Order: sequence, then C-alpha cells, then structure tokens
Amino acid sequence: MPFNVPIDQAQADYPEYTFISPLTPGEQKAAFHVKDTQGQDLCLKIIAPNYNIDRVDREIQALQSISHPNVVRLIEYTRSSKPGQQKHCIVEEFIEGTDLGQSLQSGQQWSRPDASVFFTALFSGLAALNDLNIVHRDLKPTNIRVRTNGSPVIIDFGLARLLDQSSLTDTPDGAAIGTPQYFSPEQCRGTKHDIDHRTDLFASGCLLYQALIGKHPFWRDDITRSELYDAIYESNDYLDEPDFLTLPEQWQVITGRLLKKERADRPHNAAQVEAILQKIREI
Amino acid sequence: MRRGPWHQFGDRSQNFVIEQLQQGAGVGVIISPRDIGMDHAIAYSQRYHGLDAHVLFDPQFYVPGFSNTKMETYPTNLTRTTISQTHQIMDPLLVVLVKALHAVNSSLSADGLIAPALIYEAGRPDIMQLNRRLFSAAKQVGDALGIPTYATVIIGNSAVASDQTIKEILSHATSLNCEGFYYGFEFSSERIPSSREIVLRCCTAGLTLACTGLPVLHAFAGPMALLSLGFGAKGSAIGHFKNLWQFTRSRWGPTPDQGGGGNAPPRFFSSSLWGTIICPDEIIQLPPTLQNQILTHSPFSSQVSSSRSFSGWPVWDAGKHMVHTICSVVSVIAANSDPRTNANSALTILQGAVTLHQNIATAGLSLRDNTNAYQRNWQLAMNDLLTNHSRDFDYLALLS
Repeated sequence: MPFNVPIDQAQADYPEYTFISPLTPGEQKAAFHVKDTQGQDLCLKIIAPNYNIDRVDREIQALQSISHPNVVRLIEYTRSSKPGQQKHCIVEEFIEGTDLGQSLQSGQQWSRPDASVFFTALFSGLAALNDLNIVHRDLKPTNIRVRTNGSPVIIDFGLARLLDQSSLTDTPDGAAIGTPQYFSPEQCRGTKHDIDHRTDLFASGCLLYQALIGKHPFWRDDITRSELYDAIYESNDYLDEPDFLTLPEQWQVITGRLLKKERADRPHNAAQVEAILQKIREI
Repeated sequence: MRRGPWHQFGDRSQNFVIEQLQQGAGVGVIISPRDIGMDHAIAYSQRYHGLDAHVLFDPQFYVPGFSNTKMETYPTNLTRTTISQTHQIMDPLLVVLVKALHAVNSSLSADGLIAPALIYEAGRPDIMQLNRRLFSAAKQVGDALGIPTYATVIIGNSAVASDQTIKEILSHATSLNCEGFYYGFEFSSERIPSSREIVLRCCTAGLTLACTGLPVLHAFAGPMALLSLGFGAKGSAIGHFKNLWQFTRSRWGPTPDQGGGGNAPPRFFSSSLWGTIICPDEIIQLPPTLQNQILTHSPFSSQVSSSRSFSGWPVWDAGKHMVHTICSVVSVIAANSDPRTNANSALTILQGAVTLHQNIATAGLSLRDNTNAYQRNWQLAMNDLLTNHSRDFDYLALLS
C-alpha cells in the first residue's frame, strides 16, 4: 500500500517549498515535485511515520557518499520535531523524465545500440555503488528514472535491503507481487547474507532482457508468487525464447550471465558488464 | 600474477627451485612454511627474486591444528593454531594476524599476498565466515604493502561431492574483495586424479573463478597443470613430490617419514605420455621407435638412455626432470592467453598420450604403476568442460 499524503497537506507542512505535483509514491514515502525558494526543481519525499529509522540512515549514508550522473543526488535530509509539527523528508534532485517502466512496455523491443547506451550508463551507476559497497537490492523499473536525454538515474536505493517478504501475498494477482518480479534467487530464498552486488546484477539482467526481448524473463500476467519464485530459482526457459536466440551471441552471453541462478556464475561486478556492453555496442 | 608455471614449494625445495629457475623453468615460487624456516625463507626469497622469479607466501592455515618446528618460526603460526579448535577468530587475534602477515610478507618481499583460509568444507557457514574474516585481515596487509591480495579457495573433499555445494563456496569466495585467487581442489588419495567427474568439477570450479576476470593460480596442480590454463587459470603451481600434485590434507598431519619413494626406481616423466614410465626397466622393453617418442628430455635427463646397461639416474633428478618438463609444456601453453585454445592444446597432448599408451599396450607392455589411468578421463573431462561450459569460455573471450 503506497504512503500517500495529500499535496495540500504536504504544502502546509513544508511551506519553504512550492509543491508542483505528486509523484509516484512508494510504500514508505510520498514523493512530490517541488521548487525551492530559488526556483530549483527538486524531489521531496515525505517519510512515513512508521518508517524504520535504520533504513533511512542507511539510505542517507549511501546517498551522501556517492556522486555519479546515473545515481540520484541528495540535496538535503531533514528530521525535526516540534510540538504539533514533525518533519521527516529527503530532498533529492528532480529528474525530469519518466520511469523506466514506461519504456519497457510489453512487446516493445529496444534496438541494441539504444540498449547498449542506456545499460552501459546504468551499469556505470551500479559500478559506482559497487565501489562503495552499496547494494541497491530493489532495482526495478520504477526505481530507475530516465532523463529527458535518455540516460538512466538510479533512485530509491538502500530501502530494499530489508524488504519484508512476509508482506507479499500468495494471490495470483500480478500487481500484488510487484517487486519480486526483479528478485534474484537469493532474495527469493531470503538468505540475506547471500545478498551482494550481484543481486543487483540479476535484477538489471531482468531489465536488460526485457528491453531486448520485450518481455520479462520469468514473469507472466497470471503467475503466482510461488510460481514466480520457482521460475527464478530454476527456469532457463527464457534462453529458448526465439527473440533471445536471434540476438547476436555476445548479447546472449552477457544477458544470460546476468540471469544466472548462482551468484558465482554472474558477472563479477557492474564495471565488467559496463565494459562488455561498450565493447559490443556495434554488434 | 605472472602467467605460466609456478613452483609449489615442498620438502627440500629451496635449492631444487633455484636449479629450475636457472634452467629457465618457472615464473614464480610459492613458499611453504611447513617446509622451510622463516630465516631461510627470507634468504631464499632474495635468491629467487635475483633469478627474476616472483615470490608468494602460502600461510597454510588449511589444517590449523598442525604445526611443526619450521612453521613455529613464523609469527603467523600463533593464529593458525589458536583457531584450530574453535574455527573462530576474535578481533584481538585478527590484529595479531595482520601484524604477522605484514611481517612475513614484507620480509619475503612477496609479490602478492595469499590470504589465509581453512579448507572449505561442504559449504559450512562458520568456515565461510571465518575465511571472510581471515581474508579481510590479509586484504588490509596487501593494501598496506601495495601488493595484490589473493583469496585462498581450497575446496575440501566433503564439498567436492556436490556441484551445488561447490557453487555456494564459489559464490562466497567470489564475493571477497580480492585481486585474484589461489585455488586448490582436494581429490581422493589417488596418486594422480583419474575420475572424469571429479576432474571436471575441479576444472569447472576453476573456470568459474576465472570468469570473474581475476587471475587464478591453480595451486598444487602437479601434472594437472596441463589442464590449468585450459580452464582459465593464469598460473599453475607444480611441485616435485606426489603430495604436492594435488591438495593433500595429510601433508598437514603427522608424517612418519619424508617419503620419496624409498628405493623405488626412478620414474621418467614423459611429456608425450603425460605420465611416468619406470626407468630403465619399462623403457628397455619397448621398441626403439616408441622409446624415441617417450624419451622427451630436459636439462636434468641427459643421463637417461634406452640402453639396457643404463642405470643410476638419481630419483631426485627424476623429480627435477619432471618439474622442468611440466613447466616447459605449461610455458608453451601459457604463451596463448585464450583458455579455449589452451584447453584444446591440452587435449592434443592428451590425445597423443592416449595413443602412445595404446601403442605401448600393443607392444605388449603393461605399465606397472597404472600410469595410463587418467589421461583418457582428463581428455573426456576437458571435452565436457568445453562443451558444457561453452558460454563460460565465450564470456572469458568477452572479458579479454
């Protein structure tokens, strides 16, 4: 259930900003496009009262330590409490553009040069996270913004680390499974000590596959959570998709490797994938 | 990490290695505290460097309960023995370990740092956790000394039984922030491993490590060094004695004697057989054409002839000849950096060995030591590797 705050209330609580429009809310944050007093466009995220403070700390720590064009930039973090007034928000750069989800429509296949450019930049951002030992853990289309110039920006990282799997339902309703669409096998198993930067590589492999083939490697409309998990654990059917098999071999190799079940079989790091995608750009 | 054959230090290796290096065999030396005291190791390390070899120090935490007088001369020994029972290391002891690793590796002017690690057993989480902590201490030292830190991945017998367990171990090992791997694989007690399935597991695990793009040094390879570069290793470590030809846990247990084969006749290692033949007893039973094919010489085998009256080739020289021969072949293979090509080079040699063994059998000679037991299975294992892991080789090509 997304955390929603009416824009009028948000404006009243944070009068130092001009609220332009609500953005897609997360489960724990209500997001808005705002302008500061200098007229700078920003993204203000109001944090839900029941939000785990450790998660916020982790996110802020991560955001503060990184400066990369493909990772969202932190502007300010505020947490204050006065009688009758509490403020708890993150202010980030506003990324004019769209969610990646809008570019990953079912049946729509990207050209390989486009995929190469976009995903090279995405893996560059992930490599910067790797360098700082930050694992996003919740890479998915809605957590990747696409600037108007087409370059990706990773947002909302740090939160998925403590994703509460018990909150997922067993219903066959696709909407109910949301994030697990991009879970890695180790996330499905729930073995947190197995989660490392290669968990992000698996999720980005799903995204790359979706971009190239026009469909998700594991998910389908009527799938249940347990079926999805089984597919993530065991299925290699995606390798037999006709559109996958028509990809040049190098593209099959890198995409297939990102989607390996065992972490040891995935690329060693994002920088490696970035370099390979650059190398095969013309293929 | 230097590309090519390395010398795996064992009992009485110090001068042996010098002779090899003087003959141009080997690019580096892995010093073993079990086999040489620290003062001597420092002195010999200088000599090895003087012969343009790189030097690594293997702290040998594999069986931490084991110690001997030579190991006791190293400051790293205290940590080894302390963790032997609990398989844990407390923070104060990690500090001690950092200092000890720094002292030893700087004294030896080591060119890389091999992180201490216990043998990975069946994916046990406590050992993985301990090895992670040991690695972190080593990494600290490697970074301080400005040398690469290699994670030690020795896969124990109990883990070998399952591909999945090996994968879990490798997933752990490849999550370490290392600059390469020092990789060994424990086989059964066979003199030279012959199981197609297990050899394939060893090669597959090595290939997985190589696919990280980080250098892999195949430790305790011995004659299996023929396969190392074919599964993507950059270096392969070769020792003169059979308990250095594969990871041998018993080497870190009580030893009743120094081994060496007693009064056994020397075995001539033939690169065309990729194995040994008893010299001269078996050689002289063969027709001259086969003798000529089998007698692949090195600077240490000039005394050997097919003459019926020949005798007196020292067993020790047979060891030198073997190491030199393996190093020479590995060097030739190492000249090509493509693992797939290297695997095929190994296959060519193995096919030649299989054919030659068949010809020996046709000539009516049955080799006494059963030294033809593994070549065919290695060939099959390498073929399996190339076929079943074709995508891994493709990936390595993308990384190059």
